[in-house]
Amino acid sequence: MELMAKIAFVVYTLLVLGGGCFAVGAHSLVRAMVGLITSLLGVAGMYMLMAAPFMAFMQILIYVGAVCILMFFAIMLSRADAHGVESGSRRPGKALLSALAFISPVFVIGWVIVNYQPESISIPLEVPLEVLGKGLLDNYALAFELISVVLLAAMAGAVLLAFDKKGRAAE
Amino acid sequence: MSPLMMYQLVALGLLAIGLYGIVWRKSLVGMLISVELMLNGAGLSIVSASQLTAADSATGQIATLFVMGLAAAEATLVLAIIVVVAKRFKSAETDTVSRLKG
Repeated sequence: MELMAKIAFVVYTLLVLGGGCFAVGAHSLVRAMVGLITSLLGVAGMYMLMAAPFMAFMQILIYVGAVCILMFFAIMLSRADAHGVESGSRRPGKALLSALAFISPVFVIGWVIVNYQPESISIPLEVPLEVLGKGLLDNYALAFELISVVLLAAMAGAVLLAFDKKGRAAE
Repeated sequence: MSPLMMYQLVALGLLAIGLYGIVWRKSLVGMLISVELMLNGAGLSIVSASQLTAADSATGQIATLFVMGLAAAEATLVLAIIVVVAKRFKSAETDTVSRLKG
């Protein structure tokens, strides 16, 4: 990697991991969302660095544009922030329990990553958009259609779940 | 340290933060945020594995697009569940919901 690429990588790493820590640690859920958005933008920058600009655009469009807005709606509709749900006291030992949750899987995967390294290319090649589109509609057409059905079912289910009938609203 | 390993370690960091958050957070929205972090780690790992090795690059990017689509579907459904839970329990806190009293 060239020097500029290394600097950019360090900056994006700080964005990704710093934003992630902020997203997990912030007391207010709205602030946690800001941390999440920072982290997502950092990942988009890393896609750019790996010569995958289409993935970077999709990351910003789908995650930052759609999923994060959806989660803001979730925060608003569940009034999760009004009483400061996250700011109350936690059970003692919860931090230790949370740390235990990630130690063993991360240790095992990290050991595998460090010890079993495949051959790495230092300068990645950009995939033309035509190849991606052909792959989606040719080789992976069934998966593409299935994911559309899953998305449709999820949205229909969401509408059904959240829909209030007039007579049952007072329940 | 090869470039591939650096990207993979960042993705592993995202997984670790997500796993920590899913236990640490008290509200359902906070847990959803942690899940999104983990899914992002998965996407970053897949793209780096396909772009930086001799493997087919297009396949990796398509796989990550599928991950993004699934994440969107999952976020939609979880939002609906959170809204229903918040209506019924007047709170979206996991300790309240775990009473199992309907």
